[in-house]
Amino acid sequence: MKATLIQQYITHTLEHNQTPTSVYQFAKAAGMEEQAFYNYFSGLEALEMSIYEQWFSEAYIQCAASEPWNGYSAREKVLAVFYTFIETLKPNRSFVKFLKDRDFKALPKWPSYLNTLREVFIDKMKSIIHEGLDSKELAERKYIDEKYVDGLWINFLFILKFWIEDTSNGFEKTDAAIEKSVNLAMDLMGKSALDAALDFGKFLFQNR
Amino acid sequence: MEQNSIPSSKVERAMRFVKTGAQIGGNYIKHYSKKMVDPSLSKDQLHEDNATDVYNALSELKGSALKVAQMLSMEKNVLPRQYTNKFQMAQYSAPPLSGPLIVQTFVKAFGKTPHDLFDTFNLKASNAASIGQVHEATLNGKKLAIKIQYPGVAESIKSDLKMVKPIAFRLLDMNEKELDKYIKEVEGKLLEETDYELEYKRSVEISTLCATIPNLVFTKYYQEFTTKRVLAMDWLEGFHLDEFLKTNPSQEIRDRVGQAMWDFYDYQVHVHKAVHADPHPGNFLMREDGTLGVIDFGCVKEIPEDFYYNYFALLVPEIMKDISVIKRIMLQQQIISKDDSEQTQQIITDAFVRMTNLLRTPFDYEVFDFGDNTYIDKIYALGEEVSKMDELKKSKEGRGSQHALYINRTYFGLYSMLNVLQARVNTGLRDWAKPLVQYHLAAYN
Repeated sequence: MKATLIQQYITHTLEHNQTPTSVYQFAKAAGMEEQAFYNYFSGLEALEMSIYEQWFSEAYIQCAASEPWNGYSAREKVLAVFYTFIETLKPNRSFVKFLKDRDFKALPKWPSYLNTLREVFIDKMKSIIHEGLDSKELAERKYIDEKYVDGLWINFLFILKFWIEDTSNGFEKTDAAIEKSVNLAMDLMGKSALDAALDFGKFLFQNR
Repeated sequence: MEQNSIPSSKVERAMRFVKTGAQIGGNYIKHYSKKMVDPSLSKDQLHEDNATDVYNALSELKGSALKVAQMLSMEKNVLPRQYTNKFQMAQYSAPPLSGPLIVQTFVKAFGKTPHDLFDTFNLKASNAASIGQVHEATLNGKKLAIKIQYPGVAESIKSDLKMVKPIAFRLLDMNEKELDKYIKEVEGKLLEETDYELEYKRSVEISTLCATIPNLVFTKYYQEFTTKRVLAMDWLEGFHLDEFLKTNPSQEIRDRVGQAMWDFYDYQVHVHKAVHADPHPGNFLMREDGTLGVIDFGCVKEIPEDFYYNYFALLVPEIMKDISVIKRIMLQQQIISKDDSEQTQQIITDAFVRMTNLLRTPFDYEVFDFGDNTYIDKIYALGEEVSKMDELKKSKEGRGSQHALYINRTYFGLYSMLNVLQARVNTGLRDWAKPLVQYHLAAYN
């Protein structure tokens, strides 16, 4: 039922060029009592938030079930999730665009309808990052490694925005953007010149 | 997974080239300051320094810039040899695509992952090509090679070429108008190369046409797994030129491979009038039994009829004897123009005749030994001499038809590969000479 309501919400928005204005109207159009609606969502905002979360979870499950997943490094897992998520958005591009036009703040802020997705995203990425730390693919850095996940979140928002604005054939530029930005992010999280720089900075600070 | 970061935006790429330009300037200063101390210093070190910087800049780019590097490395006669050695390294490696992007490419194209489509699929690339990479797969017990193109290649070609231009100025000593004509030709070909559906069509066409040539091997292509960015074929076994030579093939085997290569080009040029215009070692697989596998039909140059009759006429000694015919051909090929002074025309004509006589030497023999280094050295020497001629350098116009660009490149590639292979080949004139003679001598006299 949840899925049906979501679909109806999207259809309504696209056909009327605006989101439903009240639960009453929306429930009526969906042929149900307003009261029944609250069995599924606490309100229209909650419904809207669950849309993206649904898409992301779908994408994640699809990735985790794919054949090469277990052999992937942390870097490849992040890439796979990003690619698959964007693929999942495609059938709903118009709706995604509509929401973006309505409100999409400048990075690193994000619109409220991404809040629930963010929770799931952070959760999944954290476990990938842990794997990466365990396998030494990513560098352990006191305090900083806790922020890795926030970096990936910003990266994710950037890609989402990039895709919405992408006009290239088959969204090839988004593919390139994912490849390059995730590689950069993962390189930064790995052992790199950054560590030497931090180490040197610490030295200078202590020996002033 | 190790990957160098790839400069992505146009601005970043432009910066790369600006930096290189500055470095080349720096190298000249270094050279001339050293020379003040030691006047005997040759320009070798300078060229070497420049080539290293240009190579470093180009090797951080993928796709078209890399391809232009390849083009330059083929035009040996225009560049000092130090550049060429560096550029030849550009023909092989490029940073690989990630596994998830490969999967994504398949999902987009076929709605299925590669693991669903094939029995096995190796996400690790076995080879890198300049605009894509090759993966190994199996299907129904057969080993397949799947070529996958980097995303966004076609889109970045145009902007890349614009940025290669300033560097090309420096390297090639050409003015803008002159360069434009050629850049357009290269751009067109490069864009064609990004279309794997077109490559599929050409692969099938050429392999069918050339099927009867002895010792030549083609592979089977799969239309059902082909899209604009994915091309599937049966895996072809064999060695690239360098590795092949390490197996110490006998003279007989080398001759056989060389002959297959020669016949392949002879047939395409004179019968098919469209030619596989990318004869670099990565596109040929040589086998110990003396057979030659041909892969990669991305770059095919179609030869226009009037260009064909004028360009290849020069291979026929009878035609080369008649100076009025030569003049007519040179005008048609835009090597000289009516605006040139009598004297300039004469100087260029002389140089041209010398060049042509040298380049068609193999056609004068029944059997030609390409292992003869003195011949190849003569080509380099004359090429360098010609590229330094003031009459050509100062010219405001392009010299030579743009069609000649890929045809010249094809023959230079062919000659230098046969040279490295040290092959003796049956090269004499064949039946195709008759129509050429008729066209020029009978028709006009």
